[in-house]
Amino acid sequence: MPKERPLASRIINLAVFILLEAAALLMLSNNSTLQKLWIARISHGFMAKTWGASQSVRNYFSLKRQNDELALENESLRESLRSYQLAAKESDPSSLPVLRDNGFKYIPATIIKSGTNSQHNYLILDKGSEDGVVENSGIVTSKGVIGIVDAVSKHYSFAISFLNKELNISARIDTSGAVGPLAWDGMRTDEGVLREIPLQFKYDPGDTVYTSGYSAIFPPDIPLGVAGEAKVINGATNEIRVKLFQDHSALKYVTIIENTRIREIEEIEGMDSKVKEGKR
Amino acid sequence: MRSTFTVTYILMVVAQMLLTNYFHFTTLCMVTILPMMVLCIPTKVDTPWAMAIAFATGLAVDFFAEGALGLNALSLIPVAFVRKGLINMIFGSEPFEHKENISARKYGFTRVSFAVILVTTLFLAIYITADCAGTRPLWFMASKLGISLLASYLVSALIVNLLSYDDRR
Repeated sequence: MPKERPLASRIINLAVFILLEAAALLMLSNNSTLQKLWIARISHGFMAKTWGASQSVRNYFSLKRQNDELALENESLRESLRSYQLAAKESDPSSLPVLRDNGFKYIPATIIKSGTNSQHNYLILDKGSEDGVVENSGIVTSKGVIGIVDAVSKHYSFAISFLNKELNISARIDTSGAVGPLAWDGMRTDEGVLREIPLQFKYDPGDTVYTSGYSAIFPPDIPLGVAGEAKVINGATNEIRVKLFQDHSALKYVTIIENTRIREIEEIEGMDSKVKEGKR
Repeated sequence: MRSTFTVTYILMVVAQMLLTNYFHFTTLCMVTILPMMVLCIPTKVDTPWAMAIAFATGLAVDFFAEGALGLNALSLIPVAFVRKGLINMIFGSEPFEHKENISARKYGFTRVSFAVILVTTLFLAIYITADCAGTRPLWFMASKLGISLLASYLVSALIVNLLSYDDRR
């Protein structure tokens, strides 16, 4: 076998082979209709597969950008929906009885770091003070509460995750209206515990649990999960297990909620304490 | 020596044209000696030249015999492309080192037969696939390949010594 310049020799051999085969295929294609159709079918199939594969690869690498765009578009649509609902409410107060301008501002964000392995998990979001995020803002998805913003830098926010034993969310059982603090059970990423539900409030397993709206951080009626089994604590209250809608182990896109009237609420709370002190 | 080979080769091309034109026994059988002829091209001929010879040979048979132009050329070029690798695999590097042709006398009839079967199978597989162009069922193509391989091998084995002579004889 020739040993000199094996690579160059192989390249030349391959080039001549492809050239001659292409010439033979071209002649075959031009001189026989049957073979022409056959060659066209094979080449079209090959091209379709190649283009399909390259398109799949391109789609895969553009998924993040597409998701970002969808999250932004989603938020923009929600904002439009809110303003339309508000306009409808103003023109006809009897319609949409639960609707009101609840004074919350919504900012879409992406989680860039999160943990689920410890008892005190936290999140870092890609939005900061320059995007309008302030401390003590709530973080939600359409499936539930994710956490509360604890600290804000120019471009990022640090948040306490719902998967943190120290975080409690004021929650309400839909049918009975009973309200209590909902917290993570410390074990599973899709389960929580609703505590301090008085025994006189009846509920059925499967009832939906919502945010109560009693805190200045989260608006009311955000669905959180469904009630499960309960146990009586100290003979006085029920402790109900809640199967959360949102699995916190698979989370990427969230919405930050800022209460634009929190200062007003704090001021009125301050006035109330002053009145009480004056009475004493 | 070279002219003897060339004349024999051209005569075999003519023989192949006659075989293609006049020896139609059944649609399931075709007889070809072209792969054996390409295999027996002297080892000192480089692969690109061997492919060019195969292309011209196939084209000549296509042109003078009934059939789609380019079909024999399409099937014969891969035989020339793998020829050196196949010879090296079956006969070792000796034919290249001594610049001699493969011969049944020196390397044994079994090894030459094995090489002829391999190149004929490659040729027929491409030829039958392209000739049927997706219009025939697999069993037909497989049957045609098997029967044609047997017939072609028998004819090639009978005349392989005409081309694969021993240079040192």
